[in-house]
Amino acid sequence: MASVYQGRVVIGVIGDDIHIVGNRIMQLALEESGFQVFNLRTRIRPEQFCQAALEVNADAVFVSSLNGEGEYWCNDFRGLFHKVGLGHILLYVGGNIVVGKRSRDEVERLFKAFGFDRVYHQEPDIGVAIAQLQEDLRHVAAQRTVKAHGH
Amino acid sequence: MSLPSERSRLTDIEKYRGQVLSHPLARGIAPNEVREHLASVPRQRFPMVAYANRGPDPCIQPRGGFPLFEAQYQLTQQLSEAGADFIPLTIDSYTRQNEYDTATQLLHRSEEEGKNYLNGYPLVSHGHELTRQLYCDLKKPVSLRHGTPDARLLAEIAIASGIAEIEGGAICYCLPYSEGFPLDRSLLYWQYVDRICAIHSTDDAPINRESFGPLTATLVPPAVVIAVEIIEALLAAEQGVASFAVSFGQTGSILQDIATATVLRELTRYYLQEFGFGSVQNYLVYHQWMGQFPAQRERAAALIACSAVVSSIIGADKIVVKTVDEALGVPRPEINAEACDTVRYVLRTFRSAENVTSPMIESEAALIRSEARSILDAVFNIPGSDFWDSVFQAFHRGFLDVPFAPHADNANKLLSVRDAVGSIRIADAANVPITHEDAQLEKELLESREDRNDKTYRQMLADIRLMV
Repeated sequence: MASVYQGRVVIGVIGDDIHIVGNRIMQLALEESGFQVFNLRTRIRPEQFCQAALEVNADAVFVSSLNGEGEYWCNDFRGLFHKVGLGHILLYVGGNIVVGKRSRDEVERLFKAFGFDRVYHQEPDIGVAIAQLQEDLRHVAAQRTVKAHGH
Repeated sequence: MSLPSERSRLTDIEKYRGQVLSHPLARGIAPNEVREHLASVPRQRFPMVAYANRGPDPCIQPRGGFPLFEAQYQLTQQLSEAGADFIPLTIDSYTRQNEYDTATQLLHRSEEEGKNYLNGYPLVSHGHELTRQLYCDLKKPVSLRHGTPDARLLAEIAIASGIAEIEGGAICYCLPYSEGFPLDRSLLYWQYVDRICAIHSTDDAPINRESFGPLTATLVPPAVVIAVEIIEALLAAEQGVASFAVSFGQTGSILQDIATATVLRELTRYYLQEFGFGSVQNYLVYHQWMGQFPAQRERAAALIACSAVVSSIIGADKIVVKTVDEALGVPRPEINAEACDTVRYVLRTFRSAENVTSPMIESEAALIRSEARSILDAVFNIPGSDFWDSVFQAFHRGFLDVPFAPHADNANKLLSVRDAVGSIRIADAANVPITHEDAQLEKELLESREDRNDKTYRQMLADIRLMV
């Protein structure tokens, strides 16, 4: 079932949101694509994502929200990771991440300003995010090689 | 081994009942006065009477709860006039979590601003005296719908208000609704609720308990639902409950719905008798599709009509109905009333002869029956202080495993997907103790699925969005 090992990902549902279905599917999808998944499950605070990423030495963090609490909790998300020396970690967010109807462009700008690399607001296909995660990880690996040779 | 038994009955409940009733929001409920009130309400307010008089069609029950008394009163009237046979009282989320102060504050704010800041009726904040006024002239049962792991105070106030049906249970109102409420405490708190239902019952007017079989409503295999329903029926019977409804949610496959109803009804009787609870009255409740609903109203209406037909085919005692606005949020009373009317029309027009069967239905029922019995027998064989303790441990061992339950005590290892006819199949039973033969048969039935070689998560996503 699993393909070649792709890396470590921390996932979870932010805020007081208890919607678990997408979270379970996300875990399954990532595992089927070869990722090692550390699933924090539901009602997770930003600090808990940060702590887990540090403990498991994660390559990426995937935050989800279904009830729209994302906007409230994700403000300065990248800043938290900077503080613990994980400033360059890949940060992704997806689901129904804001309350009310707003354009995907607007939501993407908002969350990119919070420090997320990729934003998937109401994106129905998890496959898109997984393909981009793989692409981003290859890019990170390539950059590391360039840096190592530069010294 | 600790089998279900009358020995587990809370005969000393009065010793700690006082503690629950001393809460200021219990407003001095006195069990004797409650008994007098229950004796004074019309007999048609008791589910046993409503079920006995239901005629050929299932009883109809909508859902609904508003924060303000006046709005709830209007809703009750409208639903009753539209032909609902059971009147719902749906409780807000804060009350369900025992956050009575927050519920009370938001109730006051709703009253002051004339807007709804709660998603249901805060029964504990309103109290029993006011709530009795909701039902002064009502001659139908009221059903308490919530989702509360610790419903002790809520159930006391409901019964004191003259509400004769309490939905829920230690498993069905904990695992799908909470991620951290301790399951053992939920089991003990529901013993309390079952016990007070029994204490306030009389032979001709029992308080009815109803379990919530849809659970997470997301690809839960029928055998798991049946095991949970029967466990909750047995736990209630231990406490002396005399009237109990088991339920399940539309599976998405008519074939599997019929098979599930057959086995659920049969095994509930069988196990109650097996443990000496043969006198308990049983009912079967069918929930219209509890998964993701289509946003288009025409499609939602079609789904509602079709599942009404299924409820008739399976001879359900009651059908819990959805509305065309399900995908959009809490429905307006008119939309809710309309749904009752639609379902009434379908039930009257397409009355089904019972006992629809076929070789495929029979083999599906045989498989579900065998799996449910294996799971239950395994649970009965777990050593424990009492039956509830064996049930608690069954979750830790993964013998009981509810797909997509957020709860930390749930194993979340069982994998289920649909076969070519839409029936829910167990792709990987993990620690759920079904026989090797049954597991093999489940896998064989899955082979019929066209996208069988696609990734599992894609199959599951398609299955969850079946009706959209």
